[in-house]
Amino acid sequence: MRAGQMKAALVLGIAVSLAGLAVPTRAADTRPLVVARNMDLTSLDPARSFCDTCQIYLSAVYQTLVTLAADNRTLAPNLATSWEVSPDQTRFVFKLAPNAVFSDGAPVTSADVAWSLTRLKNMKSDASFLMEALTAVETPDDKTVVLRTAQPNSEFLNMLASSYAGIINRKVAEANGAVGGENASTADQADNWFFANSAGSGPYKLALYRNGDQLRLVSNDKFWGTAPKVAEIIIKQVPDAVAQLQMLQTGGADVAMQIDPDTAASIKDQNLVLDTVPSYNFIYLALGVGSKANTVPLTKPIREAIAAAIDYQGLIDFTVGGKGRPQPVAIPNGFPGTTDLPLPKQDLALAKAKLAEAGQPNGFTMKSAYPAVNSYGVDLSLMMQKLQQDLGRVGIKLELEPITFAVWRERVAKDGIPITASYYAPDYFGTVQYVQFFSMMSTSSWVKRSHADKVQGVVNEKEGELLKQALAATPTEAERIYREIALEMIGDKVIIPVVSPDLILASRKGVTGVRYSACCNLALSQVGRQ
Amino acid sequence: MLKVALQRLAMMPFLLLGIVTVAFFLSQFTKGDPLVALIGERQMNNPAVVAAAKERWGLDRPLAERYVVYVRNLLHGDMGTSFRTRQPVATDLAQRLPATLELVVASVLLGGSVGVILGILAAKFRNRPGDTAIRIFALVGSSVPMFWLGLIALFIFFATLGWSPGPGRLDTRSLPPPFVTGFFTIDAALAGQGRTLREALAHLVLPALMLGWTVVGIVARLVRASMIEVLSQDYILVARAKGAGEGRVLMTHALRNALMPTLTILGFTFAYLITGAVLTETIFSWPGIGSYAVEAARQLDYPAIIAVTIIGGAAFLLTNLVTDIAYALVDPRLRDRR
Repeated sequence: MRAGQMKAALVLGIAVSLAGLAVPTRAADTRPLVVARNMDLTSLDPARSFCDTCQIYLSAVYQTLVTLAADNRTLAPNLATSWEVSPDQTRFVFKLAPNAVFSDGAPVTSADVAWSLTRLKNMKSDASFLMEALTAVETPDDKTVVLRTAQPNSEFLNMLASSYAGIINRKVAEANGAVGGENASTADQADNWFFANSAGSGPYKLALYRNGDQLRLVSNDKFWGTAPKVAEIIIKQVPDAVAQLQMLQTGGADVAMQIDPDTAASIKDQNLVLDTVPSYNFIYLALGVGSKANTVPLTKPIREAIAAAIDYQGLIDFTVGGKGRPQPVAIPNGFPGTTDLPLPKQDLALAKAKLAEAGQPNGFTMKSAYPAVNSYGVDLSLMMQKLQQDLGRVGIKLELEPITFAVWRERVAKDGIPITASYYAPDYFGTVQYVQFFSMMSTSSWVKRSHADKVQGVVNEKEGELLKQALAATPTEAERIYREIALEMIGDKVIIPVVSPDLILASRKGVTGVRYSACCNLALSQVGRQ
Repeated sequence: MLKVALQRLAMMPFLLLGIVTVAFFLSQFTKGDPLVALIGERQMNNPAVVAAAKERWGLDRPLAERYVVYVRNLLHGDMGTSFRTRQPVATDLAQRLPATLELVVASVLLGGSVGVILGILAAKFRNRPGDTAIRIFALVGSSVPMFWLGLIALFIFFATLGWSPGPGRLDTRSLPPPFVTGFFTIDAALAGQGRTLREALAHLVLPALMLGWTVVGIVARLVRASMIEVLSQDYILVARAKGAGEGRVLMTHALRNALMPTLTILGFTFAYLITGAVLTETIFSWPGIGSYAVEAARQLDYPAIIAVTIIGGAAFLLTNLVTDIAYALVDPRLRDRR
């Protein structure tokens, strides 16, 4: 496609930021800043990582083409200073910052971008789905990258803002065993190298990683943007929320993001700042409509009865001490398509009426196996006990069975579970990931896990058709269509979100810039001290 | 004596192979999705991703082939790559095992010596207030759960009084000493890093005391019971009749005989704590092998599970050997037996 043929549909951040032209400067604060955290790291290689702590690390060390602004909605320039999208949403042209360099001083080129994104796709790892739509990459010159997708993809830019799409110094990585070609998933041998080294252009670089102990970052003195505020950051492995709090109180840590509401309620310390913010994480119930263990068919009236019997506010009070929000659909509150959706509410009369309509006026028994974990401050065992009480009020008896996550996954995939629970956190700011995972369109993950494809009348292809329309639409139009999809998903009554737990950002007084980000969890480069 | 020790050593490779074989096959038949640590929820239904993961991690090979490959690699010191940490298991263990050993050695030394002293005193002052106090102290150590003891200790000595440093092996902002043994106390001393040595010792005290308390609980009660039995023997009466002082009677005539069962228990406690100190490690953020094992088990990290089982098994075998040698040293009858 010639440039003249392309209409710029979306142009953001045309001007190179002044920060980008700044002479590299060193961080002013040399005292290490400590983040106490139960780390869930799977890898330090952007193409293989997939976890909350991974997002924090990657966004500090590797830069993406675009990033999510502080409002958690708008895309902002990062390595790319400007970009253009074709009207059919299949061609994306990026201009790279002329002065962007990696931590070894080598310039960031279009070849590095092409290699990094292709490698992410070819790695066939957890985050590879982000680049599934990518069909071709062109590099007309050192500072221009053209990405193409076969189908329109209005959310592709958001996927590029995911921290897993960080750009790697190709030369350095390849010299240490990294492979970007189609055989990357088996031929790549750089995983171990990435545990001791980094090759990014971000404000920090890796200094030390000791599994189960600490992750240590030092400021990148070749960083081409505004220098981070703190010269050294340590993410310290502290599995226990109480120990995290004690470390904050004694000055052993400066920031902690995993303190649960009960622990937070016990804090009476003038030296600590606790900021409770809504999160994009949520806990949900899932109904195995095609599960072999169902004692009665989970028809629409039965599913509606279950949804109506739940005391949503009571669950929030019981599990997170009121520090959470109800969520209408399996798309986080605040994501495209969630504006003004009807909130779920308990209606026991409706639940009983629906059970009678389904021919089960006296209720029935359901087996409920669930992973025995505490996720985002919610103890699933406690939550399921409360659910057992709620459903018991309309005659539905739950037989609870806490199991390990590994067993849960096997059971969900094999025979299904009549009613279960799990959790989800965003991989980037965008709605498509939720539609692909939670909707009842035939290709979604939960259609297979709920075994909905084995019973009639649950698969909802309208959601898939709407998704196609949304991907080809302008952002405003897409938002309207996503809302339509959300209403369909609410109507499915297969995935029932019960709580979006708030996040407690705890820090010592004087620590600044601690904020929750939908792409990066915690933007370390913005954290500093007064 | 030497012959027995050599015979035991010669048997160890075969015993270890047995442990490896049992651990390998048991772990393969555990319920659960083996890909849980390798593929997240989102991609678990993606056939291309599942196939790629199986190929990369060798899970597409027949079980017998995987066993042969594993044993062959093991002979070269390669324990595979952890599904969870994605690092060579040998590297993980090199980081984790010394941390646990440092804690367990300190705990067993502390708990063992205090336990023996308290056991002797309890036996000496049998059924008197001192004995009762010691028995209560021992009972608390062996019966109160570690997760409670540890949290309370941290709350009192770290968070409230500030007498103890916080969780971890060093202050959060300090760098570990250069790796030689993996024991921070020894490595810091070898590197001449006085400040790091003080920090490492200070961080070791509270978890070692708490873990050691459980050892005290076991040892003190055992020594007390053994001493009471030994002190009622005729040869003790003879020793006293011959004019031996009470100290000599207790330490030379009685303790030596009373120590036999204690040595056995101490040996097994040491071996058990190598993989069993998980609660202490979790509460004190001590990056040891216990927490590594628990995480491995939760996520079906086969290579790590098998490696930890081998380490645990080897620890028991070695402890058995050392205990037998210690028996011989304590008991002349065994030493002279041919």
